[in-house]
Parts: sequence; structure tokens; C-alpha cells
Amino acid sequence: MKYTEYINSLIKEKVKPVDNCVLFGQNIKTGSCLGGLTRNIKLSENSRIVNSTNAENSLVGFGFGLMMNGASSVFFMKQLDFLLLGIDQLVNTYNIIRSVKDNYPIGSFTIVATVVDSGYDGPQSSFNNFYDLCSIARIQGFTINNKSDADYIFENEFLQPGFRIIALSQRLGKLEINDSLSPRNIFSNGNIFQYSDGIDVTIISINFSFGQSNELVNFLLENKIAATHFHVNNIINTNWEEVFSNVAVTKKIIIIDDSKSIQTSSDLLLAKLCGMDIQKKIVIKHEPSSDWLYPRSDIFEIDQHYILNQLI
Amino acid sequence: MNEEIVKDIVRIRLSQMMVNEKYKEGKFKIPIHLSFGHEAIAVALSHSLKYEDKVLLTHRNIAYNLARAPKLKPIMDEYLLLDSGLCQGRLGSMNLINRERNIIYSSSILANNFSVAAGVAMAEKLKSAPAATFVLGGDGSMEEGSFYESLVMMKSLGLSVIVIIENNEWSLGSHITERRIPIDLRKLVSSVDIEFIQIEGNDAFSYLKILTEIRQKSLNENKIYCVEVKLKTLGDRNESPSSEYPSGKYINYHAGPSSTVNLTGDIKDLFLRYDIDDPIYVLKEQIGENAVLKVAEQIYSNLKSEFK
Repeated sequence: MKYTEYINSLIKEKVKPVDNCVLFGQNIKTGSCLGGLTRNIKLSENSRIVNSTNAENSLVGFGFGLMMNGASSVFFMKQLDFLLLGIDQLVNTYNIIRSVKDNYPIGSFTIVATVVDSGYDGPQSSFNNFYDLCSIARIQGFTINNKSDADYIFENEFLQPGFRIIALSQRLGKLEINDSLSPRNIFSNGNIFQYSDGIDVTIISINFSFGQSNELVNFLLENKIAATHFHVNNIINTNWEEVFSNVAVTKKIIIIDDSKSIQTSSDLLLAKLCGMDIQKKIVIKHEPSSDWLYPRSDIFEIDQHYILNQLI
Repeated sequence: MNEEIVKDIVRIRLSQMMVNEKYKEGKFKIPIHLSFGHEAIAVALSHSLKYEDKVLLTHRNIAYNLARAPKLKPIMDEYLLLDSGLCQGRLGSMNLINRERNIIYSSSILANNFSVAAGVAMAEKLKSAPAATFVLGGDGSMEEGSFYESLVMMKSLGLSVIVIIENNEWSLGSHITERRIPIDLRKLVSSVDIEFIQIEGNDAFSYLKILTEIRQKSLNENKIYCVEVKLKTLGDRNESPSSEYPSGKYINYHAGPSSTVNLTGDIKDLFLRYDIDDPIYVLKEQIGENAVLKVAEQIYSNLKSEFK
């Protein structure tokens, strides 16, 4: 099943029995402008699907208003860039809700946003560092890279009391969803999944880089290097203890982060690793470039042989 | 004549004056936007509310919070950031709420609260609750894009919302004419088929009648009303004369302590102006000065006793 189809099947399953729920967003009744997301959704009698106006700031405020009055809602939005218009609501309104959380009824608000990460949509549609947005507002935000992520996040986060953003990848949307791997361990309340266990190197993948990281793990294994692979689903309030314990054993680390910002989650992680005895440190990330302003592929090439040579 | 309305207007005025005195003494670390001159609309709104109604305010919310709270002390304690404050010292002034008394949200970001109000009203609609949603803004907030976006959203969804715009004609130190072209609010809201009512004169009794009527109509017909209240925020001052300003530069009151409002012990201090811009003066015209002063003496005594 394709990535988007699978996500949509989870959405349909989860929203069907929920009362007092509002699903809203632009053109979501047909789902045609969201790559099929939200197509053919059925709701309980007292819930609503709202084909909304084009007003992202106000739509985020609308969701918070529903939440603080006890309702459940999901805002489906075409792309993460549009959510920049809602930053006041994400930061300021959510701060109030958190300040007085015991006094508000326990409603639910989820934003499902697509990260335009193919790179070909032009300079105004190239914001791909989901965690920049989460960081400024201290929002719980989850990226979905594969079926295991999707199953866990939709089971434990979607429509649950409180607020979060779930980010989907445009690049992965039309591909078959990766269902070949299940996590060996789940740490930090689902923020970190561990997919493999090896003593030679620790690989940490961030944002939407799971696929490339997994390919690297397999390549290294073919060359007799066993890697522990952690993927980070959510960077906010993450407990890194298990990662650090593993790095203490392997003393070699590869961080793979496909987000485009000056300060990325990989920088945060490197700062946290300061002081540890690490013999080899490889960071694979986008370097700032004028290409960021033009329609160019967002996928970075990983030179697997170079990495192999660095580790031997 | 509803005696409670008279008492509430006087209580809010005296309460604000007591806050102002503490403010002048430098007792607060937080910014407070006093609302001298806003007492009539605050009391009218408060008396128009039914149990389940929701109110979303702005940073200049003190008159409304005082109207809904029976005591001054929890609000004063909130301003002092004490655990005994109305919100346990967590919100201060600009975001002060009182959920048990209908005030569910206050925003210090202009126009931020209109779309939140749309969500709150939508939740009421889902529940089929007989509850109206009131949302406040100022003449500055209606310049923001979110104001228009929210009106379109509210109207499109058929929500029961009463939008109240307090037009005091000032934004910080700029008069409305210094910062923008005139906005005909009636035409603006009419363009999205929303009914408009303009009120002025600080007559809390007529304000209450109007708000009560449109609240019911809003609920019965799932309609939005926009009420523009023309008022003056009192507490202004003139700077010392200069060559540029021979009569002294006029400074509109925006926030902080007001040096021209003083509570000296003479109860007549509660009159800030002798014209219809002062709701206390309007009360005097309605029930007589002696009656106002008699109520004020009793209320001032009660307020002082809260702090003994």
C-alpha cells in the first residue's frame, strides 16, 4: 500500500467512532488536493467535516478554540510552509492553554501537515525542517517515515487529549510504505525507535531520513559492520539516555538529518554528546547553499563507500 | 433601575483606582492596561451573560474581569503573582481569565482571539448548547487580517458569536487618524453579511438591553453580530508645555499607572470627567450625584475591608 493510502486508512479508522469531532482543512471532503489524504472519510453523526476557508492562522486558532471547549479536531493542511502563518497561534495561544491546562476541558487538537520535501516546489515551498517549528513553540511533533511510525503515532497520539502536529512526507507519499521493519525497542515515549542492534557504530536518523539511513545500515552490515540504528520521531522533550548508552559502547556515531536549517536537530544532538569519548563522528546533513532557493532535489546523496572507509 | 448595575460600575471604577494607587507605588512587575471609561460596556456584558456563555477578551480586560469577579483581592493578588491570585499567579494581567465566571481566554496578541472564539463557538454548536460566544477586540485589532478571516469563518459555519469592538480611537500613542485611513466597520462587516450595531454614550442600561436582545437573536438564528462601542479610555495627561507643544503634548492613556487618576480619600475622586465619556458621570445623570456617592462610600469601605 502506498504511504498516503496507508495513512488515510489509519485516519479513517481512528475518526469513525469519535463524537464531537471536527475535521477541517482546505478541500478535505474530496481529498483531491492532499494527494488522496482524507478521501472517503466517514464520521459519527455529531461530528463534522469542514471544507475550510484559506486562512491558516485563523484555522489554527479555530482548532485551539475547539480544544479548549472540549471538542476534538484535526486540521489537515497541504504543506508545512503554510503553517508558518499560524505561528502566533502555535506559540501564544498554546502557551495560554498550557498555563491553565487544569482548568480547560480535555479536548484534542491535531494538525496533520505535509512537509514538501521533494525540493522541486520552488523557493516558497521548501521549508522542510519540521523541528524548527516544533522548537519555537515547544510543540510535540512527530514525523512518519514508515508503517511502524504510522501505527504507533496514530495509536498513541492522533485524537488523544492535548495538542500535537503529525508531519507527513510529500516525497514518500506516492511510494509504497516501508513495512519491512519493526522497532526492536521504543524509547522516550515513542520519540525514539531502535531498529537494529550492533556494536560497531551508532546511527541516528532524523526528520525524513529513515529510508536512506536504513540503506546505509544494510550496506555496512554487508561489509561486516554492525550498526545500532535509532530513528528520532520527535525531538521535543526527548530522553536521549539509551542513545548515549549505545554511543558509549560503539564510540562511533553517524547522524543523518535531511532538514534544511542553519541549526538543526543534529546540532542539538551533537551538543548533547559533548564530553563523551567518541572516536569517529560523521554528520550527514544539508550544507547551506543557494540551491536551497531553487527547485532542486532535497534528497542528499550518501556516499556509503566513503563512510565505510571512515569506519574501518 | 437595576441597583446591581450601579454598584458594579462604581465597584469597577474604585477597584481600578485602588490598583492604580498600588501601581504608582511600583508594586507590580507585570504590565497592566487599566480600563477607566470601559466600565459601562463591561458591566452590561457581564449582566447579559447566561450560565454557559463564553467570553474571550483582550489584554485590556481588567474591567471585564472585575465585572465577573465578586472580589478585588484575587485579581490584585494575581497582579502581584501570588499563589492566592485568581489564576494562581500564572497569568498576570494581559491573559487573565476566570473560567468559572465565563471568561475562558484573554489574548495580548491583537486579533488572536477572534479565530479562537470561532472554535469555541463551533464546539458549542456541536453540543447544541444554548450558549453564546462573546469576543472582544479594539480598533487596532480590526486592522489585523485575522479579524476578517475569522468573520468569514464564523459566518461560513453559521456560528452564534457576538463580536464587540471597543473603539477608543487609540493604539499605543497613535491616534487612529495617524496610523490609517478610516475603516467603516459597518461596511466591512456588511460585506460578509454580518449585522452591525454601533453604541455609545456609556449608558449601561441601554447597552444591557441591546446585548441581551442580540445574544438571544444570535442563538436563535445562528447569527453573528458585530457591536462597535465608541468610548474613551480615561487616565490621559498633558506633558509640560514646550515650544513645540505650547499647551503641553497630549498623552493618551495606554498602560501603566495613570498619574492623573488619584484616590485621595475623597470619594468624589471617582469622577474622572464630567461628560458622557465617563460612565460614572452618566450614572450621576441617571440617578443623581448623592446616590452615586452613597453607593461609592459603601463599596469603597467593602473593598478596603478585603485587604485588612
